Amino acid sequence: MPPELLRMIIAAVLVVAFVFLNAMILGYMERKVSAHIQRRPGLMEVGPHGVLQLLIDGFKLIGKQLVVPEASNKFLFRLAPILSFAPCVLPFVVIPFAQKLQIASMDISLIFILAMTSINVIAILVAGWASNNKYSLFGTFRSVAQAVSYEIPLLLSILSIILITNTFSLQGIIAAQKYYWFILIQPLAFIIYFISGLAETNRAPFDMPEAESELTAGFHTEYSGMGFSFFFLAEYANMFTVCSIATVLFLGGWKGIPLPLGDYTGIFWFMLKVYGLLFVMIWIRWTFPRVRFDQLMTFCWKYLIPFSLANLLITAVLVKLI
Amino acid sequence: MHPATEKLISALQELSIQVDACDYQQRGYHFEIDLEADKLRSLAECMLAQEMFLVFVGGLHVKPAIEIVYQFASFERACRLVVRAAVKADNSMPTISDIYQGANWHERETRDFYGVVFTDHPYLKPLILAEEDVDLKPLLKKDEDLKETSEVRWAAPVEEKPEAEKAEQG
Amino acid sequence: MGNLAENNTLHADLEPAIDIPSDNHYYLNMGPQHPSTHGVLRVLLEMDGEYVVEAQPVLGYGHRMQEKMGELKNWRAFMPNTGRMDYAAALQYNHGYVGLYERLCGIEVPARAEYIRVITSELNRIVSHHLWIGAMLLDMGAFTPILYTFDDREQVLDILEDVTGSRLTYCYFRVGGVCKDIDDNFIEKTRAFIKRQRERFDIYNDLVTGNIIFIKRTEGIGIISPDMARRYGVTGPVLRGSGIAYDVRKNEPYSVYPNFDFEIPVGQNGDSYDRYMVRLEEIEQSLRIIEQALDQLPDGPFLGKVPKKLKMPTGDCSFAVEAARGELTYYLVSGGGDIPYRLKIRVPSYSNLSVLPELCQGMLLSDLVAAMGSMDLVIPEIDR
Repeated sequence: MPPELLRMIIAAVLVVAFVFLNAMILGYMERKVSAHIQRRPGLMEVGPHGVLQLLIDGFKLIGKQLVVPEASNKFLFRLAPILSFAPCVLPFVVIPFAQKLQIASMDISLIFILAMTSINVIAILVAGWASNNKYSLFGTFRSVAQAVSYEIPLLLSILSIILITNTFSLQGIIAAQKYYWFILIQPLAFIIYFISGLAETNRAPFDMPEAESELTAGFHTEYSGMGFSFFFLAEYANMFTVCSIATVLFLGGWKGIPLPLGDYTGIFWFMLKVYGLLFVMIWIRWTFPRVRFDQLMTFCWKYLIPFSLANLLITAVLVKLI
Repeated sequence: MHPATEKLISALQELSIQVDACDYQQRGYHFEIDLEADKLRSLAECMLAQEMFLVFVGGLHVKPAIEIVYQFASFERACRLVVRAAVKADNSMPTISDIYQGANWHERETRDFYGVVFTDHPYLKPLILAEEDVDLKPLLKKDEDLKETSEVRWAAPVEEKPEAEKAEQG
Repeated sequence: MGNLAENNTLHADLEPAIDIPSDNHYYLNMGPQHPSTHGVLRVLLEMDGEYVVEAQPVLGYGHRMQEKMGELKNWRAFMPNTGRMDYAAALQYNHGYVGLYERLCGIEVPARAEYIRVITSELNRIVSHHLWIGAMLLDMGAFTPILYTFDDREQVLDILEDVTGSRLTYCYFRVGGVCKDIDDNFIEKTRAFIKRQRERFDIYNDLVTGNIIFIKRTEGIGIISPDMARRYGVTGPVLRGSGIAYDVRKNEPYSVYPNFDFEIPVGQNGDSYDRYMVRLEEIEQSLRIIEQALDQLPDGPFLGKVPKKLKMPTGDCSFAVEAARGELTYYLVSGGGDIPYRLKIRVPSYSNLSVLPELCQGMLLSDLVAAMGSMDLVIPEIDR
């Protein structure tokens, strides 16, 4: 077997394992953080401080039957969770966890990641449509409109970084932050990116597609068992991807106080930053009420896009002058 | 007596509706009206014009005919009226749900419980009871329990009393 | 695919409520099991995209025919039922029911009992508003406030549990007084709660009142005009949010409410935000009443002399109290004896909810949730 192929297989296994692990860590983190925000202990039963709870939940979800509604389009209904899960694994291939911890380095890594995360919208569309449930369809309408709209400010804010670095390579962008993090010179772009990222991953206060007080559970109302878990895994994987891009673009990626074996131990700093951002995401979710759908769109088109365009313009002028 | 209440009383008297003052301490309402079903709609219009609100509509199964009880009160002052009207011979009653929209549900509920038909009601389907219980009429009394109208009214001497006490309140 | 049109035929029997929708309209069934209908309320919606064209509440899923039971039982036997209509503000339902018999039979109530009734009723009102603040924000997608309000709620429930013996469906009042006296421990704990609750308002304001998302979602949403309120018989905080200072405690004072100095908070626009502010302010006013009542609390018996079997005069009697959700009126027709001939219970949420079809025309679905949340509906109370 050629060593390159072996490497890819090991990498693929590791990535999928990491996606599951990430969902467990995030699931635990979300439940614990929310509990402490709400002044209650949260998970306590399974294992010390409930750390094994998510493992048990995983087994439970695997053991559950996937109920396929009679009036649904059965093929599409089964396809949607897979369609949601598969593309969200792929970005992990190019994420630079440390100097030498990157499975494949591409010159267009950033574009690759953005392309992969966009596929999630199609999965939601398929899921909502195939369920043949009005609440699901509602969630789908909202989700598609929301994801398509918020992709624009997201890309515009990334573009201002690209203008500075002249590369789409994630390692290249990290290398460009040798002396300072880009959050210092592009704070507005960071804020816009982060808000759009919340909306892209359907996190509160922008969790329109699954606004449970209005739409019961939105597009995944009809899903149970592993069908639901795939959406769940995909959501957490997407959150991780969004936060790792933020880390790479604005927070210097794996750079930090040098540790021994710096080529590999950068992963410590990388993870610290990513999970720090994820913590902020969770914090926001458990503090704010949900915005209304039309307000969400207004916010995107009337505020985020003009601001990100202005930011891009100013960046372009400054880059040209300097 | 509050000037607005006086105005209400005279407006009702213009419609030749007799208003009797009652002892609030004993009954919890200030005025009572016994009404013919025909005058109900003009009474309701008068009430709305005088800025009263509808507290409830309820039924009362007595001999010889079911009575519908309306209670009105005021947002601004202490003034509570009870209006009783016996249903027409065909067990029907004019609706006031186009005057007081709030009466819509109360009338539907009364139809559920007593089977009284409110004529011209926009949607007289069961509200509280299930669709299949349309003929249940749970609050109708059995014959042996049924009382005469006079048996559930205040005895005459008690009704004399309020006049004296009302002056104190006013 | 595209079976929305097919699904609509499921509701063919309900057609008269809502006209047959055109191609662009469709039905949406909100409830009876839906996260934001708080109990088993079903609202049948005709939708045009995200907009509500028409709404038709369908009631009766929790119907128990309380009025029939009222005709079959004497006051002692029916007493526990009163607490089971509005489970969030049971003591006020107790209060109206015992007040009714006391008025009808001319029973004197000892002064201490009246004070205890007022104190516990107002505590119950606070508890009810706590529940509401949490539930409404939960409807709007904020998960955290409910845990904070429940933290406060627990404090009161502990106090009430000591004296009433239950935490939710109280049956504490008796004709002629209350069933158990309050002690120094109760007074001490209540005073401690008043102090604590006043400090907690800052937390509420930080967490909720000033939140831009909350303001944007409630301001100008679900406006009930004074005229509309009158036509529907809307009462309680919902009415006061529309700027009408109607409160049975002031308008037709009962019990010892005239002895206390308190205000009726009113809103200006009648939107969801005003209703929220009114309720928040009402908690403060209730605290004031409790404070004064504790200061003035007289000594004496807590239960007057009441005959074992009441002898009701023939005639009718009405008793209105200000429950947490609005005016609660018991109307009793007596044919003598100790069992009512007819007991009509006018519940506030019933009239408050009847505004919904007119209120929500042309509303977004999300606003409907916010508007319904701000009305503070308790479904078992509506269904009785």
